[in-house]
Amino acid sequence: MKRKAGRKAKPALARRSRPARATAKRRPENSTGAFVAASAQALGLTLDPAWHASIAFNLRLILRHAALVDEFALPDDAEPAPVFHA
Amino acid sequence: MLETAAGDFAWDSAASIAAAVTAGRVGATHIVEATLARIRERDPLLNSFTAVTERRALACAKALDAAQAKRERLPALAGVPFAVKNLFDLAGLPTLAGSKINRDLPPAPRDAALTERLETAGAILVGALNMGEYAYDFTGENIHDGPSRNPHDLNRMTGGSSGGAGAAVGGGLVPLALGSDTNGSIRVPASLCGVFGLKPTYGRLTRARTFPFVASLDHLGPFARTTRDLALAYDAMQGFDADDPACADRAAEPVMPLLDRGADGLRIAVAGGYFKGKTAEAVAAVDCVAAALGANHDIEIPQAEHARSAAFIITASEGASLHLDRLRARARDYDPAVRDRLIAGAMTPASLVMKAQKFRRWYREEVLKLFADVDAILAPATPCTAPLIGQQTFKLDEVELPVRANLGLYTQPISFIGLPVVAVPVPLAPLPIAVQIIAAPWREDVALRVAYALEAQGVVAAPRPAL
Repeated sequence: MKRKAGRKAKPALARRSRPARATAKRRPENSTGAFVAASAQALGLTLDPAWHASIAFNLRLILRHAALVDEFALPDDAEPAPVFHA
Repeated sequence: MLETAAGDFAWDSAASIAAAVTAGRVGATHIVEATLARIRERDPLLNSFTAVTERRALACAKALDAAQAKRERLPALAGVPFAVKNLFDLAGLPTLAGSKINRDLPPAPRDAALTERLETAGAILVGALNMGEYAYDFTGENIHDGPSRNPHDLNRMTGGSSGGAGAAVGGGLVPLALGSDTNGSIRVPASLCGVFGLKPTYGRLTRARTFPFVASLDHLGPFARTTRDLALAYDAMQGFDADDPACADRAAEPVMPLLDRGADGLRIAVAGGYFKGKTAEAVAAVDCVAAALGANHDIEIPQAEHARSAAFIITASEGASLHLDRLRARARDYDPAVRDRLIAGAMTPASLVMKAQKFRRWYREEVLKLFADVDAILAPATPCTAPLIGQQTFKLDEVELPVRANLGLYTQPISFIGLPVVAVPVPLAPLPIAVQIIAAPWREDVALRVAYALEAQGVVAAPRPAL
């Protein structure tokens, strides 16, 4: 895929205020719990209610990391690296 | 020198054992019998082995001794005992990968490719090693097999997930072991157990017939008590293998002939910013190594914190995808700490995972630019020396953080883009801690040369514990 001129990754973090990031950062604990329950159903996972708090804790941790990555501005033509070649 | 007078080969290097076997000064059978006796005696303390392949080891040793008696040319690792993390397939055994669930798998029909390559080089497999469940671990603890124990303090963690490898090599059971490193699982136990560890470039060593964790981040590599032994094993294992789709189609590039070049002429910098040590021991270890190498300037690895976060997300998501069917069928048979992380990973939105993969490529391009000006970068391997077994949190920069998630703070941003690293142990008292020597892709030779030079100066060494 050709890159468009001037569309390279920005050299420094550009902090963008976008709804997606704000949602990930501010998601209240009870909505994470609801998301866990709904996702488990969608994925066909049977969860013991005793596991919910720990799963929600881990999901919030992942989403905190995701929010950090999400705020990093990348151009639209940035290629992913799902199979990495050094 | 071999400690033949004492009849104990526990602290001999792989190189000296191979030299003695090749010259006929000692039989491979004698070496293997001494190793098996040590495992019987000391492993109840270290809990590093989950299987001992006694019959197989003795058969290999007898064959080597017969070849030596006929004056046949013996290979580079003749008679060197080694063990592998129990995610490596071993013919005739189920591949546990630290789990309860995999105990129900049929026995593997064939050895992992790297096990075969080490045996072709004359090394002798003596068993499989304890590890964190499914490699999702930095502690070396295992709910099914019990924790592997640090040879320098049995109440402390080995680090993980290749905890058994760190304990077995650091505790003098074997001179050589193989582990895996997805986010730091070779470098963390090497640091906490005070041994050398090599995580090669992503795609350098075949992963064929090993149990995966995160396909786009998984690496395999050796543990040893000397740089030379790392290099010997690494050279024996290089080469393309079509059975691993990620294995690069590159010819072997032996490093043994290059070790003597040392660090002369190499440009070495210290990673600044994110990588600045958060404890006195991490700072002391890096300062000690940097001073010995004359590395007196810092270099900024751009957006390392973001890189660690992106590695965290990809690990959670890819790892969960691997385990989704098992989580549906046998969730109760997992270690709860691993299960809940994997389930959370399965629920991570794909759009965020893809952002992490896009960031990964950007980060790689930025970090590779640094190697125009430096040949190697120094960074701590772990934020601290070995925590206590069961310890849940530690303080870094006066902030209380979970141990399990943060022991790989400094390793994750490096393996994230597959750079080769040698973890070198600095023998601080009372506990060792390692420094990462990071090189450009495919330049394992640079990292090993620096490690070799540091070892020659006596700055880094695998300390012998009082077991």
